[in-house]
Amino acid sequence: MTPGPGRRLIPAYLVTGGRSAPTGPALDRLAVLIRTESSLPPDTGSEQRRLCELLEPGALTVVECAAHLELPVSATVFLATDLVAAGHLHARPPIPSAGEIARSLVERLLVGLRSLH
Amino acid sequence: MLGWIVALVAVAVATSSAVRTYQARREAYGASARAELNERQAKAAEARTLALTEEIRQLARRRIPAAATALSHRTAPVPGLREAAGIDGEAARLLGEAVQAARTAVLEERGRVDAAARSAMRGTSAKIQSLLNQSQHLLHELQHEYDDPRILQLDFRNELALRRTQATAVLCDAWPGLARQNSSLVEVVLGAQSRVPGYERIKVANHLRQERLALVARAAEPLAIALAELLANATAYSHPDTEVPVTVQQTAGRGALILVDDAGIGMDDDALERARTLLSGPSEVLLTELGDPPRTGFAVVGRLIARYGFSCHIESSPYGGMRTILRIPAHLLTVMDDDRALSVLAPKPVHARGTGAPEPSGPQDPAATTGPVGHLPAEPVAPTSAEPAEPAGRAPAAEAEAPPAELPTRRRRARRTDSPEPSTTRPQTVEEPTLRTPEQAGAAWAALQEGTLSGRKAPGPPAQAPPAASPSDDLGDDET
Repeated sequence: MTPGPGRRLIPAYLVTGGRSAPTGPALDRLAVLIRTESSLPPDTGSEQRRLCELLEPGALTVVECAAHLELPVSATVFLATDLVAAGHLHARPPIPSAGEIARSLVERLLVGLRSLH
Repeated sequence: MLGWIVALVAVAVATSSAVRTYQARREAYGASARAELNERQAKAAEARTLALTEEIRQLARRRIPAAATALSHRTAPVPGLREAAGIDGEAARLLGEAVQAARTAVLEERGRVDAAARSAMRGTSAKIQSLLNQSQHLLHELQHEYDDPRILQLDFRNELALRRTQATAVLCDAWPGLARQNSSLVEVVLGAQSRVPGYERIKVANHLRQERLALVARAAEPLAIALAELLANATAYSHPDTEVPVTVQQTAGRGALILVDDAGIGMDDDALERARTLLSGPSEVLLTELGDPPRTGFAVVGRLIARYGFSCHIESSPYGGMRTILRIPAHLLTVMDDDRALSVLAPKPVHARGTGAPEPSGPQDPAATTGPVGHLPAEPVAPTSAEPAEPAGRAPAAEAEAPPAELPTRRRRARRTDSPEPSTTRPQTVEEPTLRTPEQAGAAWAALQEGTLSGRKAPGPPAQAPPAASPSDDLGDDET
């Protein structure tokens, strides 16, 4: 899906199925997807099947799946939310990177420790 | 004696006078007859002139306008001579010629005007097309940069506009506007699907024996345009709740067929006849014949058929609406190079199950062994459907045997997360996972690690690498 000089044949919006927003809770691009044990119904689309295959060996983030599927993240989110809703995937929100420690808290801790003496 | 002579003379005189009067009377009679004849001839000539005038009036007021109308409305009646006996053959022939000459003049002028309109439209649509192509590239880049789903919608609107413009251009004898490489047939079908409002109702079933069957470069885009028009008809003329099944299959003669069915309102005989005429690939389609608003679909397909050598047939569908069959001859087909991967969106061939006859699976096997790439995608499908069915179907007793059989780490973890659902039957096993799942433990430790890390390099912004790396890290930890 390289944007070459010609017109690309299959656009990414095809996976949205005509919806304007994913049905279900919004997924972050760093949300981690984990395959569950449920078996896919036979009428599963090839792109959903492919996503599940990707996750067979282990978990991946949405953005990594998007790269493997050569789809934009926004389109991959549609696929993932559908599979999560159907119970074929687990989605885990991204681990928030720990923020800086509040200075006042440390100071109060220090005061408390000193007062122990 | 004298008396005899006198009598004889008198008889002679009487006879001669009788003869003379007879002759005079005959002459008078002839003269009157001639006069009568002249008079009659004059009357006839007058009547002829009158008839001719009437015919000319008929020609000017009725026949020529009607003949001109009939050029665009085939069913409109064209009146003939008022009374064929009233004028002689020569005049009638000349009057007929006048009608014919008027027809020819109108036709020529119409062709000229139409050609001018087409060329104007062609220029405009080529310009719009190139602009839309540029915005498509921009949208494509934006999609990969930002996660807003509205960009996808925008891309779709752009694609719809592009289809309209391209169809208009094709109708105006332009070339499709871009060249493609050899393109997978299924991908071309999906490409056509993506250009149609209501594309989500179109269900593509891939019944190809060769998965990598492709269209030769020059036919790829034309076929996409033609199929998009057929699909647009199918979706536009059927209820929004119904599906539009599309079947892609190979024929016995190395060609391919694309069937488009709809459960729509169907077509009446006139419309069907018009469609068939257009689909037969006429050498010229006039813009003025498309109606108002213009119905371009079949005309566009017809233009492409005339130029690229595929064919299209339309009939009543078993689904209730219409079925259009696009037939692609063998010389427009090829097989894709193995180094080009198919799109993830392309549906996999459905052989073996359902309607697939046992015959297609026979030829398919050698194809799969010769082409390794053709075999690969089929393989994972079978395990995924078979594998998870096993743990789901079996009793809990099987769980004990399963882990040693396969490399276990992911499965074990996954089973624990899975087990809370059937928990009601086995309360004691549920206790363990509810305490803390490996993910939670991993997440907690990873968060702690990251916290200390980011705490140490104090002013540094929260780098993007740690969160991205952390999931795989914590998975790695889980396995021990």
